[in-house]
Amino acid sequence: MYRGSEGQWAFYLHRISGIGILVFLVLHVLNIASAMWGPEVSNAFMKFYHQPVFQVGLLFLIAGVLYHGFNGLRIILMDFTSWGVRYQRQLWYGVWVLFVVFYLPFLIKIGGGILGGGHGD
Amino acid sequence: MAIKSRRYEEAKLEASTNLELYWWVFMRVSGVVLVFLLIGHMWMNAILVDLNSIDYDYVAKRLSQTTWKVYDWLILALALLHGGNGLRYVLDDWVRDPMKRFWTKVVVYSLLAFLFFLGSLSLFNHDFGVN
Repeated sequence: MYRGSEGQWAFYLHRISGIGILVFLVLHVLNIASAMWGPEVSNAFMKFYHQPVFQVGLLFLIAGVLYHGFNGLRIILMDFTSWGVRYQRQLWYGVWVLFVVFYLPFLIKIGGGILGGGHGD
Repeated sequence: MAIKSRRYEEAKLEASTNLELYWWVFMRVSGVVLVFLLIGHMWMNAILVDLNSIDYDYVAKRLSQTTWKVYDWLILALALLHGGNGLRYVLDDWVRDPMKRFWTKVVVYSLLAFLFFLGSLSLFNHDFGVN
C-alpha cells in the first residue's frame, strides 16, 4: 500500500495514538461521571488527576489527539482527491507542521504549569 | 472485513457489505467533525482556563448550559463510535483466534456501551445544582 517508510510510520502512529485516546476517554468519562456522586467525590477525583504525573500524561494525550486528527485529515485527502496518494509523504510533513503550530501553546501553558509548580497543593 | 482501500471508488468495490462501506464513510465524516470539536474542547479547558483550577463547580457551571451539554455529548457519541470502530479494525488485525476475538469484542463493546450510558446520564440527567 505504501512505498515510503513515512507512510508506515504514519500508520503505526495513527493506531497507537487512537488506542491511547480511547484509553483516556474511559478515564475521562468515569472522572466526569463521578459528579453524580456529589461534589466531594468529584473534587477528590479532580485533585487526584491534578498531580504533575497526570499533567505529563495530558501533554502526551494532546499530542496524540492533534497527530491523530491532522493525520486523519491527510488520510481523507488521500481518499477523496486525485493527488492525495501521490503526495502522501509531503502531506505527512504538513501534518507535523500543523502539529507543531497547535501543540506549542499547550506545551507552553501545561509544561509551564508543571515546571512552575502551579498544581494546587 | 475492514476496508483497506484508499479511495472511495475502490472502497465501494472492496466493501464486503454495505454496512462496512457506511462505517468507512462514517470514520471520515466523524473524524473531520471531531478534529474541530476536540481542538475547541482542549483549547477551552487547557489554554483559556488553568487546568488545575478545574473542579466540580467549573464543570457544573459549564454543563448548566444546554449548548455545552450538546457539544460534550456530540464528542462522547462520535468519539465512542469512531474509537469503537477503530478498535474493531485493530482487533480484526491483531487477534487472529476467532474465539478470543469474539470475546474481546464482547468485552470492548460492553464497556463502550456502559461509557455511553454513564456519560449521557451525567450530561443530561444529573442536576449539577448551579444557581
